[in-house]
Amino acid sequence: MNVGVLYSRIRKDEKLLLSELRDRGHDVTKIDVRRQQFGLSEPPAAFEGLDVVVDRCLATSRSLYTTKFAAAYGVPVVNGPGTAQVCADKVQNSLALEEAGVPTPTTKVAFTKDAALEIVEEFGYPCVLKPVIGSWGRLMAKLDSRSATEAVLEHKEVLGHYEHKVFYVQEFVEKPGRDIRVVATDGEPIAAMVRSSDHWLTNAAQGAEVSAFELDDRARELVAQASDAVGGGLLGVDLMEVGGAGADDYTVHEVNHTVEFKALNDAVDVDVPAAVVDWLESTVEERADTTAGEVQA
Amino acid sequence: MAECIECGADVSLHDDLETGEIVDCATCGAELEVIGTDPVELDTAPELEEDWGE
Repeated sequence: MNVGVLYSRIRKDEKLLLSELRDRGHDVTKIDVRRQQFGLSEPPAAFEGLDVVVDRCLATSRSLYTTKFAAAYGVPVVNGPGTAQVCADKVQNSLALEEAGVPTPTTKVAFTKDAALEIVEEFGYPCVLKPVIGSWGRLMAKLDSRSATEAVLEHKEVLGHYEHKVFYVQEFVEKPGRDIRVVATDGEPIAAMVRSSDHWLTNAAQGAEVSAFELDDRARELVAQASDAVGGGLLGVDLMEVGGAGADDYTVHEVNHTVEFKALNDAVDVDVPAAVVDWLESTVEERADTTAGEVQA
Repeated sequence: MAECIECGADVSLHDDLETGEIVDCATCGAELEVIGTDPVELDTAPELEEDWGE
């Protein structure tokens, strides 16, 4: 197959993916989105002849628009724009999980610092303030007191971008010093790891230690439900254990649509990029079969 | 080997270099983007943007 890879930076994740695709003899077209122009109906020349486009954009804004354009041109794109839209925004992400009945931390949103302060006071301390767009644990604030909250909210109001005036406040979940990252394809886990840290943030990008994690049935069920809730695809589903490690009870705090998997690949025995490409091949094949069936009908 | 565009020192490169990859200059610490591989061309890597991530 001819696979287009949308990117603006080649991380280790993309290198692993490119290497796996090339080793299997697939044609790979690297598409640096910074150098493309997207017409309303005319795709960039780089899109010609592609069987599928894989969105590996580092910037969420580019991911949102390029997937939308690819879909508009009729080029199959992984993940689709609907999934990207839901996952890119924490409010939409939380709403989708809630609507699907997936346990997710209690969250409230306000548009002024006074209203946000009221939410924080209702939740009690500590609680968490997150940017609606963002990743890698950046600009996350654990609010321990009213005075700190007032300062953080004031800073957010003057940060400049209107998105910082959408105050996303979440209960603080007492997790056992770790959270769980599952990389899944259409709800089927490829592998999972725990990310452990003494810090309240346990993102791998923040330096958390990672190790393989065996999912139980409940976690698998939640991963499948969370994937469905956001439209499926190649996803990173993040869970926290509630009631302590091994309590078999979880809350899903986030689903990521341009998931990084290099840390997971190092932590587990599973060949993650190989599993991703297996899924990609079957997805393209299924789509081709469907299209052929439609033509015959 | 390529020349760091910030400090002029030699930058060592892997064999499987990809356009779009970031390499660090061991001498000055600059992050450099590979903008060409044959021949190797480096440019200053873009600064971190707020919407970057996964």
